[in-house]
Amino acid sequence: MPRSSTRLRLIVAILAAVAVLAPLAWLWQSSLVGKSYSVMGMGYLDYGGGPVAEHDHGSTARSVADLKVEDSRKADVRVDLVAEQQNLNIGGRSVPGYTLNGTSPGPTITARPGQLVEVHLRNASVKAGIAMHWHGYDVPAAMDGVAGVTQDEVPVGGEFTYRFVADQIGTYWYHSHQVSHEQVIGGLFGSLVVLPKTGHSDGVDVVAAAHTYSGMKTINGVAGDLKVPAKPGQQVRLRVINTDNGPIESWADMPFRVLAIDGYAVNGPTDVTDHSVTITAGGRVDLGVRMPTDGRAVRVQVSKGTAVILGTGDPAVPPQPAAAVDFLSYGSQTALPFDPAKANRRFDYSIGRRPGFVRGVPGLWWSINGHLYPHVPMYVVRDGDIVIMHIDNHSGQVHPMHLHGHHAVVLARNGVAATGSPWWIDSLNVLDGESYDIAFVATNPGIWLDHCHHLKHAEQGMVAHLMYEGITTPYRIGGTAGNQPE
Amino acid sequence: MRTAYRVLALAIAALVVIQAAVIGYGMFAQLNWIDHGGTLDKSALESSAPGAAAFLLHGLNGGIALLLSLALLIISFFAKIAQGVRWAVIVLIATVVQVALGMLSHTLTAVGALHWAVALVLFGVAVGAATHARKLAPVKERVPTDVA
Repeated sequence: MPRSSTRLRLIVAILAAVAVLAPLAWLWQSSLVGKSYSVMGMGYLDYGGGPVAEHDHGSTARSVADLKVEDSRKADVRVDLVAEQQNLNIGGRSVPGYTLNGTSPGPTITARPGQLVEVHLRNASVKAGIAMHWHGYDVPAAMDGVAGVTQDEVPVGGEFTYRFVADQIGTYWYHSHQVSHEQVIGGLFGSLVVLPKTGHSDGVDVVAAAHTYSGMKTINGVAGDLKVPAKPGQQVRLRVINTDNGPIESWADMPFRVLAIDGYAVNGPTDVTDHSVTITAGGRVDLGVRMPTDGRAVRVQVSKGTAVILGTGDPAVPPQPAAAVDFLSYGSQTALPFDPAKANRRFDYSIGRRPGFVRGVPGLWWSINGHLYPHVPMYVVRDGDIVIMHIDNHSGQVHPMHLHGHHAVVLARNGVAATGSPWWIDSLNVLDGESYDIAFVATNPGIWLDHCHHLKHAEQGMVAHLMYEGITTPYRIGGTAGNQPE
Repeated sequence: MRTAYRVLALAIAALVVIQAAVIGYGMFAQLNWIDHGGTLDKSALESSAPGAAAFLLHGLNGGIALLLSLALLIISFFAKIAQGVRWAVIVLIATVVQVALGMLSHTLTAVGALHWAVALVLFGVAVGAATHARKLAPVKERVPTDVA
């Protein structure tokens, strides 16, 4: 009897252990992605209530590699970019990082509407390889610069040529989309400005790319304030770009206007007083300042740590306003170029956080619609579809959501409809507890990332994709090419 | 098994101490950074500002504590410690509550106060489990003397 009781006890112990371990082992196993995989086979297809298509990997499918500007067309703007991995001098400190043509940020690329921009990228010494993404620019899919989705990473000694037509005016930026969580914060980025055909009427047009290198705040790669000459009465357009992983606030010591958000002009902007402007990670705003006629300088804070000083002088730091401008009601309404009521696809992008495994690693991970990477939705659309996406965030932290290749308009936040200028975004600050309804027209066939632009969050699996029917990709994540987009 | 049980329980208690130390360091590193003119916002926090690594480590350690508590439970099935399973379950529940409070505190910041208090509870039950395992000897089966 005692021996059988011992045996019984052991069996119960083993069964109890299996009951605890088996579900964990299953979760662990299902989180593995393999050494090489295609985003086409990831997660599950979500048709958003629209027509269900055959998942076409076959001969009739078009490759993203073919979705480009015709090769015969001559370039109007040519830029050579040489990427290097080297230490940067930031505010007198040497920090590890990356440069483009010897500097970080890289050169500002400027074009006019209709021009064909051709950027020749060469990797001189970035060991992990590189790829260049045109953030906010709705380029043809082959030019989107995402390693493992639209191209293979460019290894040391390798080259890649990006070609796209500058058909949208406004403020954009470019950055690496290979090991982006390290390379972007390390400085592998630059600004892209498409000016109107005739230029802005009078005055000063300046880019202020905010970036934090190893904790040090900079504007255009320089620690401290950026001083910009401006004459009394002159109009200034300040293009603030947030290249960091978290949102920043911007405010000034005099009224200003928000002329554009994420490259798109605000309709009927009004003076902003006693409010700041939130610029989400990856987002841009163009701020308009009319210089005072009495000759005094103007201070525009770009976060608390840095500022742009317009004119001559050193004005005191204005206190940070308690509230930010609400873009939901800023500016005046005008008709949209499409009717969101005619949407034929409706998707959910619900962001949470829960314990589990991602790539076999246990932890607290970001979830999309309750699932962890790689079991994330593949949103399927057809060319011409009108799409509504409902984004909600109950993850405890802010997420800057970025859809590649498209601009969406914000319809509502927390169920409250937008009443201001059409608020076009490619990067949207979604706070914990908030929900947004955004809409866009699917007119840019390809396979597009739809991810958190806190690039460490993306690396932790906060990446879904938007896929057009009949499009496929020959590129794979991992594998011999070493593609690692996040 | 008994030793493994005790080591795991003490390791969980030690992790609680490490968690407190990490947060203490992180907080003062950031106060010092601000004192020297540094700006602390989300961007700085996510770009290696002093103390940022401490917060990252705190999050990772939370996951490790959860794994150790699960391991303690599994060991308890085999360790033949009277009420050993019960103690392991209490430790696991305290760990799960503590991790959940940590996550919830991002949204409901007042919950952060409870996160600190439950840390003490978790430390207490982990030390309690280890002490309990030492105190009580396993129930030995008596060998009948008349067999010989």
